[in-house]
Amino acid sequence: MSDKVAKWIFWAGTIISVLVLLVLTIDSHKQFNYLTNVDKLDARVIAGKKTFEKHNCNDCHTILGFGSYYAPDLTRAYTRLGEDSIQRRLKHPESVFSDSFRKMPQQNLAGQEIADLLAFFRWVSEIRNNDWPPQHSETRWKRSTDKMLASAAISPGAALVLQENCLDCHTLGSRGVAKGQRLEWIAQSRDALWMADFLKNPEAIAPGVDMPAYDHLSKEQRLKIAEFIVSLKTHRGED
Amino acid sequence: MEYRSQRIAYSYFVIALLLFGLQVVTGLWLSLSYFITIPQAIVDAFPFSTARAMHTNLLVLWLLLGFMGATFFMIPEETKRELLWPKLAVVQLILLVGTGVAALVGFLFGWTQGKPLLEIPRPLDVVIVVAALMFLFNVGLTMFKAKRWTVTQGSLLAGLTFLSVLYLFGIPFYKNLTVDWYYWWWVIHLWVEGAWELVVAALTAFMLIKLTGVERKVVEKWLYVELGLFLFTGIAGTGHHYYWLGAPKYWLWVGGIFSALEPVPILLMVFDTYRHMKESKLPFVPKLTWTYLVANVVLHFVGAGLFGFAHTLPMINYYTHGSQVTVAHGHLSFFGAYVLFNLTFFYFAIPRLKGFPDGQYKEKRGYWGFWLTSLGVLGMSLAFAVAGVLQTYLERVQGQPYMIAQKPIRFWMLIVFAHGILMVLTGAVIIISHLLTLKPAKA
Repeated sequence: MSDKVAKWIFWAGTIISVLVLLVLTIDSHKQFNYLTNVDKLDARVIAGKKTFEKHNCNDCHTILGFGSYYAPDLTRAYTRLGEDSIQRRLKHPESVFSDSFRKMPQQNLAGQEIADLLAFFRWVSEIRNNDWPPQHSETRWKRSTDKMLASAAISPGAALVLQENCLDCHTLGSRGVAKGQRLEWIAQSRDALWMADFLKNPEAIAPGVDMPAYDHLSKEQRLKIAEFIVSLKTHRGED
Repeated sequence: MEYRSQRIAYSYFVIALLLFGLQVVTGLWLSLSYFITIPQAIVDAFPFSTARAMHTNLLVLWLLLGFMGATFFMIPEETKRELLWPKLAVVQLILLVGTGVAALVGFLFGWTQGKPLLEIPRPLDVVIVVAALMFLFNVGLTMFKAKRWTVTQGSLLAGLTFLSVLYLFGIPFYKNLTVDWYYWWWVIHLWVEGAWELVVAALTAFMLIKLTGVERKVVEKWLYVELGLFLFTGIAGTGHHYYWLGAPKYWLWVGGIFSALEPVPILLMVFDTYRHMKESKLPFVPKLTWTYLVANVVLHFVGAGLFGFAHTLPMINYYTHGSQVTVAHGHLSFFGAYVLFNLTFFYFAIPRLKGFPDGQYKEKRGYWGFWLTSLGVLGMSLAFAVAGVLQTYLERVQGQPYMIAQKPIRFWMLIVFAHGILMVLTGAVIIISHLLTLKPAKA
C-alpha cells in the first residue's frame, strides 16, 4: 500500500463517518419532539430530572438502560409500579426493602421532590424507545392480557377484579389507572397464596401502602382473584 | 531522556499510579456490595452510588493523567526541542489533581452533577476546561514552533483536541433525558472509540519506532490506515448506543453495521504490531516492557473487539443492554486498551527518565504484578460475563423481577471480588511499588 492510499483511507473514512453522524443527528433532533413527547415535557418533569440528578439515582439504577446496574431499571417504573408504590419506595426505603439483601438509601426527600420525580418517571415511561426493556414491555403485557380476556369466557376471578373496582387503582392490559402496581407485574413476582393474604390486610404486609383491605371477601374469593392475576404471567420463555 | 522538560512526565505518572491503586480499592467495595448485604445505616451514609462515582472518576482521571504525562514525555523527542512552558505543565497538574480531590471529597458529601461517569460538578468543570486549554496550548504551540511535523504528532494533537472539545458536550443541563444521553455518548463513546484511540495509537507508534528501530515512514503509513478505520467505524458506530433511548429507528441499522466493523481496526493494529516486531532491528528488551505492549494489543482486541462485538447487534443488545454483560465488556476493554497502554508507557518511559543505560531495569518483580493483574482482570471479566448471561436470561427473557434474578448473580460477584482482592489489588500494589522504585539492570 502506498502512502497516498493510506492517507486517502484516513481522510475518506473520517469524513464519511463524521457526515453520517452529523446528518443523522440533525434528523434525530427533528424526530425527538414526537419520540419523546416534548409537548409533555413541562416544568415539573424538568424539576424531577434535577431531583433525579441531585440524589445521584443514576449511579445505582439504570434509566433507558444507562447508568449503574445495582438496582432495577427505571425506564418503565411508572407504568410497572404505579405512583403509590414509587412513593413508598422513595419515602421509606428502609421498611420497603427491610427483607431485601440489597438496600436503598433513605434520602429524606421533600414532598415536592417526590411529586417532581413522579412527573419525571411518568414522562420517561412514555418515551418511544423501540419497546425496551423487554422485561417491562407494556406492549407485550397488553397484547397477552387482551388476547386472554378475549378468548376465555370471563373467569370468576376476572369478574371479581371488575366487581371490586381493582382497575380504579391498578393497570391491567390496556385498562386501569397507574396508582398501584400493574397486575401483570405482580403476577411475575408473587404467588396466589401470598396475594390472597395481602388482599385481606395489605397494611400488615406492606406498612403504609395506600390500598384498602378486602376482608369482606371470603378466602375463596380472594384466592380466585389471586389465581386470575397469576394467570397473567407472561414471559418465562414464551411470548 | 534527552530533554530536561521530559522530566515533568514523571510527576504525572506517579500521581496516576496512586489513583490507579485507589480505583481498585473502590472497585472491591462495589463488588462486595453485590455479594453481602450492606446494612441500611452504612447505605444511608455511603451509598453504592457514591463509591461508583469515585471508582469511575478515578479511572478517567488516572488514565488521562497517564496520557498527558506520556504526551509530555514524547513531545520534546518528537519535536526535537524543549516543551515551551514546563512550569505551566506543573500548574496544570496541580489544578487537575486539586479538582480530582475536591470532586472525590464532594461526592462523599453528595456534591454531584448526577450523571454517571460525568459526576464532577459544573463549577469544577470550569477548572478542568482551563487545565485542558493550558495543556493544548503548551503541547500545540511547542509543535507549531518546532515545525517538525510528523504523522505521530499530528494524530496526537488531533486526538487531544478532539478529546477536549467532546468533554464540553457533557457539561450543560439537558431538559430532555433522551437528548442528554444522546450527547453523553459523544463524550463517553467518542472518547474511548475515537479520541482516546487516536491518542493511544500515536503514542504507541512513537514507542514502536523507538523500541524496534523500524523506519518511521512504515510505522506512520500504517498508523494512517488504522486511524482511518478507527474513526470510520467508531464515529458513526456511536449509533450502537442509540437503539433504546428514544432515537429514530435507522440507528438500529447504522449503529449495528458500523459498530460491527469496529473490531477490524483493532485487528489491524494487532497485525501491524506483529509485523513491526518481525521487522524489528533491535532485540526485544526490556522483556517486561514488550510483554506489556503485546498484552495491550491482544487484550485491546479481546476486550474491546470481541467482548464489544458480542453484544453490539441490536437483536442481541435488546436483551443484554444495561446488564452485567456491559460491565464485563467495560472492564476488559478499559483494561486491555487503556490501562495496559498506560502501564506499557510507564515501563517504557520511567527507565529513560531515570537515565538507566538502554532503558533497561530489574524486571523480575514486575512480572508478578503483570500476571496477577492481567489474569485477575480477565477472570473478573469472565465472572461478570457469566453474571450478565444469567441476568439476560432470567430477567430479560424469562421476565423475572430484577431482585429475584439478582440472587444467582451474587455468587458470581463473590468470584469477581475474589479476583479483585487476591489478584488485581495484589498485582496493582506490586506494579505501583515496582514502577516507583525501578532499579537499573546490572550491567
